[in-house]
Amino acid sequence: MIPLIRGEFLKVRTTQVWFWMLLATIAVSGLLVVAQIAPSDGVRTGGDVPDLFASSSTAYVVVFVLGALGVTTEFRYQTITPTVLQTPNRWTIVTAKMITYAILGALYALVAVAVQLIIAVPWLSSKGVEVDFGNGSVQHAIIGVFAVVALFGIVGLGFGALLRNQIVAVVVGILFLLVIENIFLAIPKVREVWPYTPNGGIQAILHTTGSTHVVDDVHLLSTTGGVIVLLLWAFVPAIVGAAFTMNRDIT
Amino acid sequence: MNQPPAAGRIVVDDLTKVFRGDVRAVDRLSFTVEPGSVTGFLGPNGAGKTTTLRMVLGLVRPTGGRATIGGQVYRQLDNPTAAVGAALESSSFHPARSARNHLRILCTVGGLPLGRADAVLDLVGLHDAAKRKVRGYSLGMRQRLALAAAMLGDPRVLVLDEPANGLDPDGIRWLRGLLRHLADQGRTVLVSSHQLNEVQEIADRVVILNRGRLVQSGSLEELTAGSDSVIVRSPNLPGLHAALTGQPIQVEPLDASGIRIRGLSTAQVGHLAFGAGVELYELSTQRFDLEELFFALTSEQPGPEGAPA
Repeated sequence: MIPLIRGEFLKVRTTQVWFWMLLATIAVSGLLVVAQIAPSDGVRTGGDVPDLFASSSTAYVVVFVLGALGVTTEFRYQTITPTVLQTPNRWTIVTAKMITYAILGALYALVAVAVQLIIAVPWLSSKGVEVDFGNGSVQHAIIGVFAVVALFGIVGLGFGALLRNQIVAVVVGILFLLVIENIFLAIPKVREVWPYTPNGGIQAILHTTGSTHVVDDVHLLSTTGGVIVLLLWAFVPAIVGAAFTMNRDIT
Repeated sequence: MNQPPAAGRIVVDDLTKVFRGDVRAVDRLSFTVEPGSVTGFLGPNGAGKTTTLRMVLGLVRPTGGRATIGGQVYRQLDNPTAAVGAALESSSFHPARSARNHLRILCTVGGLPLGRADAVLDLVGLHDAAKRKVRGYSLGMRQRLALAAAMLGDPRVLVLDEPANGLDPDGIRWLRGLLRHLADQGRTVLVSSHQLNEVQEIADRVVILNRGRLVQSGSLEELTAGSDSVIVRSPNLPGLHAALTGQPIQVEPLDASGIRIRGLSTAQVGHLAFGAGVELYELSTQRFDLEELFFALTSEQPGPEGAPA
């Protein structure tokens, strides 16, 4: 399993997508900090700090795409043929990729959090807002970001394994995460399923203020519930993909 | 068929593949490929060659029957990289990745030292292009890279699908030498092709496939035994016929001045003609032509995709 994971990392390193995705992560994380601190009604007290850091979870979109590409690129360029020739067992391939992209997700989370800290800590301190890393909510937010972004590496991978087609996996995934889930939230009754969607899981994990677990009249799950929801979104497509679509004839 | 499973022997046993829509791509196919020889796998386009090779390599699931390599189904091999090398198509590369990196990934996963990547690149003559992205490679270079990947683990068995495609004449000569060398080392070399003259030059044995079924298999010597013929031209054909009367031969007219004779050597024909005082313009041997045999064997019914390419 270790050689396979090292091989997967080498696959990532030897093309250029990881670099552009990293730039995107840095840009988005930086912009989000600026957008939350710069306005006059922005972050003004220590109580706003956990939500500020939770926003670096936005890197989940980037890591989702990376994960989806991790499988679908192999089908697009038929490198799946040498991959399967070396490792005939599809479960082994998918497992190695899941571990790889979870680690990769954690690395991207590290970058996103670091960018935010580098910008936010000095800036907030100049505004007289001290960032207290001993604060449970701040710790919760940062650990939550790592959990969310790492899990989304697997969510993306599972989508890719399930759909195989690169364009379809990325477009369907992005549309679902960024558009369709929000439409769910806007429709009465239907919005009751939202806590079980990927974004519902993210919000449940990152929700730190503790006072209201309610978004648009919908009650969020607990943090543990959120983790379970994301684990299901990560593992179910990956398992179905390994068992069925990845197992189809490679012609 | 009851031989013990020799290391490196490929045994295809009653293999069948029916694709969706009831397309019978391979139909109860059985043959054996022996180590230490180059076996040509021949058939028109659409005959089922690639599907058969992909079943041997565990990429396509057979509908019936099975294929084994050294007695084992491909999916059960411990370390496929070291056991079997396959070059299936010239396009299984990420265009933005260099040849060297492509091979290094295979080294990493297969537990081989990274230096193997450079060694096989030297072997196939891609040393100077090793760090270039595959996007800029010609078809011939991709074929060489596919071959390099196949040889990476120094495997006992090589399965190559149309490896000569896109190679220039120099490349083809080089490939011929390489395959001969690999077979002489005791490896099993199975090469599919539709370039029959090429196969005739390099193969010891052939397996001929048409419409998913086995048409003929055996050593080229067996298949071609007694099939050389003598071409004779003379201004006096009636005199020549008279001189040949009583010989155990088959005679076939070619044109107004020439005939084809089977059953005698050029020396024997020349001797008879000289004895009868018949003037000859040409006396030559025509070697057996695999292409002729191939067309004779595969042309009973036109294939679904027309003439062999």
